[in-house]
Amino acid sequence: MSTTEETLMLAREIAGAWDWATEVVQPEENRLDVYLKNPDDLVAIVTGLRVKRLGYLAAITGLDLGTEAGELEVLYHFCAGAAVITLRVRLNRQETAVASLSELIPSAEPYERELREMYGVTINGLVAPNYLYLPDDWPTGVYPMRRDFDPQSLLAGDGARTVTE
Amino acid sequence: MQIDQQRERFTIPIGPQHPALKEPGHFRFTVDGEIVTDATVRLGYAHRGLEKLAEKQNWVQNIYLFERVCGICSHIHSTAYCLGVERLAGVAAPPRAQAIRTLVGELERIHSHLLWLGVSAHEAGFDTLFMFSWRDRETIMDLLEAFTGNRVNYSLNVLGGVKVDMTDELAKTVLAGLDFLEERTHHYLEVVSKDTSFLQRTRGVGVMTRHQAEVLGVVGPTARASGVTRDIRHEAPYAAYVDFPVRVVVDDRGDLEARFVVRMKELLESYRLVREILANLPDGDLTVRMPRRIKAGETVSRVEAPRGELLYFLKSNGTDTPERVHARTPTICNMASVVRLAVGHQLADVPLILAGIDPCFSCNDR
Repeated sequence: MSTTEETLMLAREIAGAWDWATEVVQPEENRLDVYLKNPDDLVAIVTGLRVKRLGYLAAITGLDLGTEAGELEVLYHFCAGAAVITLRVRLNRQETAVASLSELIPSAEPYERELREMYGVTINGLVAPNYLYLPDDWPTGVYPMRRDFDPQSLLAGDGARTVTE
Repeated sequence: MQIDQQRERFTIPIGPQHPALKEPGHFRFTVDGEIVTDATVRLGYAHRGLEKLAEKQNWVQNIYLFERVCGICSHIHSTAYCLGVERLAGVAAPPRAQAIRTLVGELERIHSHLLWLGVSAHEAGFDTLFMFSWRDRETIMDLLEAFTGNRVNYSLNVLGGVKVDMTDELAKTVLAGLDFLEERTHHYLEVVSKDTSFLQRTRGVGVMTRHQAEVLGVVGPTARASGVTRDIRHEAPYAAYVDFPVRVVVDDRGDLEARFVVRMKELLESYRLVREILANLPDGDLTVRMPRRIKAGETVSRVEAPRGELLYFLKSNGTDTPERVHARTPTICNMASVVRLAVGHQLADVPLILAGIDPCFSCNDR
């Protein structure tokens, strides 16, 4: 794969194989956003990228689209040279669940653990029981990167740690 | 008669007050005798919630915030951030500003690699090399201070350019400093590839094959020491790297020795780049006007930090405050390799294997 255009072309081809399940947008010259209509297709499409040896998983970004939208968005950035191919999955805030990529891509594990802790996304198939970043006494069901996170909630009640004078 | 040999296995917790490193991280090593059979890592002891804080600060304030993700590679963080914001705004910093960013980026790499040489030599029990390399590192710290006014957190970048200009007089001082450092680096390169007792700690230790490096997703000098040609300065040139191309240093051996050799050779390459930039510094303005509100949109900004690829994801909603800033730092990628590589090694080799990736816990714990 020599140039950015060729890489993006190949990515379009791969996404095209699932054209009923994806929507492809090119927001910048070197970037391609692939929106997945159903989170269940994630593993299949990532397998497609792997089979074609297209790039490496550079990061997983979580986004909270707000309580009104009621959705979270997860972005999987695959980089090859200057090209960035982003797979985008939307999840319901109430029942967030997405398949783990760590079987396919071992280096996905720390990103997925961060996503789980900070955004409360359930990662199905991720074998890592404890926290990577948060302290052991962090209250359950509190996700610091969500928009409705209230730092005050850590100070009192709800089984959270208590601050003693 | 059959004797059941019961092998006792111990789990050794190390950290967060780490005996070897100055930053907090918690490792659990399961050992069979002296051999490590399993390892896990726990981070977050220095987590400051910077990404959350960024959503409450405006675009300008965030430059200073992200410059403080890391005290060693502060400039590259603000460069990645500024380049991303400029791209979102559809503004490009003038060529002179881009060259100065690149220049300081390379000076920072020199300081970071020399610092790492000292830390790793210390982990290997070679304190003389540690003292010498840190003495020499002061040269570059003094140059950075003379140029930007600060030893760390240079605060050089602004949105749309840089704050300080390089003068001819200062350029001479920088060149003189580089001559001294280049001579010293040749000496260090000889030490790390010829000193017998040092090689006993590094040669054939912590070997990561090219395939392993690709699977584990390591970046930067750690990947390049395993034969993976991955350098953002070369793959996706940013700032002034288009005009000043970098020669990627790669070594196929994949052991600790290779990681030393790659970083020493990268120092030499940085000296060459700095000289070239100083000789061909473009004329012109240092800044362009930036809007206060940034157009709605998203971008990915990737740069090569001293430890490897640094990725920023920026999302703007059209106001003067970002919707989301995500920083994926190189140590996150490299940390996973430590727990995998440690398995099968003597416990005594682990500190050096850890130091070999040039870990930065404050980068991990944004």
